[in-house]
Amino acid sequence: MASIESKDIRKIIVACDAGMGSSVMLASQVRKQLKGTQIQVEHTPVNSIPDDADVILCHVGLADRARKSAPGRVLVPFQVFIGDPAVTKLISTIKSGGTVDA
Amino acid sequence: MANGYTPTVQGTGTKATIQRIGGHLAGMIMPNIGAFIAWGLITALFIPTGWLPNESFAALVDPIIKFLLPILIGYTGGRMVHEQRGAVVGAVATMGVIVGADTPMFLGAMIIGPLAAYLLKRIDALTEDRIKPGFEMLVDNFTAGIVGAAMALLGAWGIGPIVRTITEVAGNGVDWLVSNQLLPVASVLIEPAKVLFLNNAINHGVLGPLGVAQAAETGKSILYMLESNPGPGLGLLLAYLFFGPRPLRPSTPAAMIIHFFGGIHEIYFPYVLMKPRLILAVIAGGAAGVFVFLITGSGLVATPSPGSIFAFLAVTPRGGWLGVIAGILVATGVSFLVAAALLGFGRGARQEAQDETAAETDAQQPVTKEA
Repeated sequence: MASIESKDIRKIIVACDAGMGSSVMLASQVRKQLKGTQIQVEHTPVNSIPDDADVILCHVGLADRARKSAPGRVLVPFQVFIGDPAVTKLISTIKSGGTVDA
Repeated sequence: MANGYTPTVQGTGTKATIQRIGGHLAGMIMPNIGAFIAWGLITALFIPTGWLPNESFAALVDPIIKFLLPILIGYTGGRMVHEQRGAVVGAVATMGVIVGADTPMFLGAMIIGPLAAYLLKRIDALTEDRIKPGFEMLVDNFTAGIVGAAMALLGAWGIGPIVRTITEVAGNGVDWLVSNQLLPVASVLIEPAKVLFLNNAINHGVLGPLGVAQAAETGKSILYMLESNPGPGLGLLLAYLFFGPRPLRPSTPAAMIIHFFGGIHEIYFPYVLMKPRLILAVIAGGAAGVFVFLITGSGLVATPSPGSIFAFLAVTPRGGWLGVIAGILVATGVSFLVAAALLGFGRGARQEAQDETAAETDAQQPVTKEA
């Protein structure tokens, strides 16, 4: 399983089908919560996740496609778009400086 | 990855493949939605039956739908395959299918744009290492020019007429469903596919291109409303608000606003995926909505995207508001009632609250391990 130290995270990508709707919404939430850190949060379609993404957030229904388009990267799948435990856990792990794994 | 809410919902390989193909179709349309909305607004306002009939402004309607929108689709499709060079030949090739047919060529553009770009990509790969220094620009420009011209000819001669036939057959099929009052049955397919994240593929990949042919003929199309009706999702979220598992209830009002006003339908999919039997609620709501749209003769002039109530009302033709609003309300009501019944009107919530707590503890464990 891929994993990354939270101090090494530079860029988080939130991916959804079109990269225009739900990913934009979640990206802006995550960006707000990570304000003050050096981490970039961006949104893209799940088929075109950029190569420099350190952590990828996407809905479990799209996780297979994300794995295919960005193999070997840390992928955090989530279930709901507001207040998902997986997202909350990612943010608290980053803030406390632990290891993020897929 | 199981967490506090539900067991893992993992996609199978097939589902991911269908999603990916659908994603490509939708990916050619969605970046261009702004142009579709511009066209929808101009049409709703200035055509003879519009809000502010104006002959010189209405002259915009035809060229935009016949030329600008298909070319944008072909351009974007080409760009997905082969960057800027692909985009250019995709646009040129699309011109061929436009000239080769007299209906709006959305489907044709979705085929020939990427195809032309793919051809150029293969040719570029062949020539890349063989060009003498200093001749790169000459070769690049002429390969693109020749591929573009050849594909435009092929489009006008071959692909345009074929796609026109396909569009006609599909259009006749839709007319048959409409005239036999069978269109509500479509919800049985559409709603489950939606929550598997095929929503964009269905709406922009299939229904939109068929709808545009119908709208060009009759001024409006019901096909735009099949997938994008925000009613079923709203009813489902309302049922969750009153009768859902208690830990989830506080998140639903925000979800409703994002869904109904913001038009991001994805927000309600997880609520169906975590209790799959609720798919029956959105199917019933969707079918009821389509039925109301059908009997009131409703249609929209352009695709409402995102599927927000505001987008719906913006592309409703003059005099059509009653049917459109009624369809959305009925869909909401039916979906709410069925979902509420399936949630046992809240009786199951207590038991589930205990399950939630148990599952929550499981999910918390890895956190403590890491910290």
